[in-house]
Amino acid sequence: MKAILHIIEYDFRNFFRYKWWLAGLISMNLADLLIMAVVYNRMVSPEIAELSLTSYFNFFAPGVTVIGLFASAFMIGREVNMEVRRQIHHYMLSLPITRLELAVGRLLAGGLRGMMYTSPLLLTTFIFLGFPSFPQFLGILGALFLLATGISGLSIATAVSTTSFEKFVTARGLVYYVLFFCSSIFYPLSLIQTLGQEGIMPQPIVMLAELNPLSNGADLIRSFLLGNPTFTLNMIRNIVVFSIVFATSATVAYMKIIEIR
Amino acid sequence: MFLQYKFLIIMRAIWFAAQVAFFGLIASRMVVPSLADIYFEYYIAGVVVMMLYSASVFIGYDIFEEAEHGVFEYLLSLPVSRKELVLGRSIGGGIRSFILVGPIIAIALVVIGLVNPLNFLLAFSTLFLFAFGVSGMSITIAVALKSSDRFDILMGVLNALIIRLSTTMYPQAFVQDASLAYATISKFNPVTFASDLFRWGVGIERYLTMTPMPLAAIIGLVIFFFTFTLVGVTIYEKRLEGGGWQ
Repeated sequence: MKAILHIIEYDFRNFFRYKWWLAGLISMNLADLLIMAVVYNRMVSPEIAELSLTSYFNFFAPGVTVIGLFASAFMIGREVNMEVRRQIHHYMLSLPITRLELAVGRLLAGGLRGMMYTSPLLLTTFIFLGFPSFPQFLGILGALFLLATGISGLSIATAVSTTSFEKFVTARGLVYYVLFFCSSIFYPLSLIQTLGQEGIMPQPIVMLAELNPLSNGADLIRSFLLGNPTFTLNMIRNIVVFSIVFATSATVAYMKIIEIR
Repeated sequence: MFLQYKFLIIMRAIWFAAQVAFFGLIASRMVVPSLADIYFEYYIAGVVVMMLYSASVFIGYDIFEEAEHGVFEYLLSLPVSRKELVLGRSIGGGIRSFILVGPIIAIALVVIGLVNPLNFLLAFSTLFLFAFGVSGMSITIAVALKSSDRFDILMGVLNALIIRLSTTMYPQAFVQDASLAYATISKFNPVTFASDLFRWGVGIERYLTMTPMPLAAIIGLVIFFFTFTLVGVTIYEKRLEGGGWQ
């Protein structure tokens, strides 16, 4: 356990080295919320059921929280990829820490860094949308932590599976754009489902949007703060499955691949 | 040099596809009926201008790359004046961004359609001034900052603000409704001039910001181009001498 804490501390120290980068990222997230969402408030149709009860700004605030969480939790992959390319992982392997502790430490650090980064965005969401009850608050934190750990796992698995930084950045771009845009972050899930029923959006894409952990994370916060969509256990189930799958695959991939290289 | 960035090109292509196939398509179902019938085409035109902007900005990153690898010394040893060098960089940055965005513009034209080819040619030609101006702006900021990290962060923030405070994603009428301050910035934003001009060129004339079109947008882009080219030339020229870029 102590070894895992050391690894988490190491990754947090690295995280704070990017403080200006983080400031830039948070200002981009806030620009999305305070400019784009404010203009879309005036543009969205009152006929959209999910948006007729609230403003687009309120709808989007949980979405931007999840975007922030995703971007910051994914940063761990960039560092792992850099370590592998510069052979720093040889130093990591030489430490008196088991491979499993090393992998779990990296994974948890990525998740916790995501949580830390997203906390001001989550607070902003609470300030505008209202504070949840204590059990709901714990539910949101728990779900976001699971989500962040899964994202961290996805990022580490991508980082150790790609041989160059360019390939990692391209893979990251693909994952980012597919998961961001094919989700309910920017628009209600019902719109994607309607396009699917009309045959415009392929059914696998509709299914991806429904199972997308980012959709489930944003909708879970909305269900507690806005009351719409209705909270279902499927939201938790999808996040838990995503987190377990990617945390496990990242742990295995990290332990195996860094030993081979 | 730009063709070395093949992964960047792939990433931009993925970004364009995601913006159009997901955001453009779904958001067009979300907006008010008065906008819904043209929003998909409106948004695609905006995405083209966003891509042109971000591709033109990339020249600034090359400046740091060159400083790091000692290419500056080589460039200074060439039989060209400092002014020619800077103008060449600015224009080269603009042209190569058109090489990247060219296929995207072609796809956009297939989707949107073309009402008046002459209007499109006029808009397309004037967009070069936009690309040169953005490249000039990027060079100016790069040489003024002298730190690739600071440049990267500033360009990220600037990109977020300059795109969102423009009409790339939404018409000026809605920006005006949302906030007078946002509308004022958006009205004088070069990205708004470029977006309006491109939309005018492809025949999406509802919700244009400026009148008379295309003259107002062209004047705005000419002023933008000359301002940043002149400022860029002056600052770059000063920094080049005596190892000022290091």
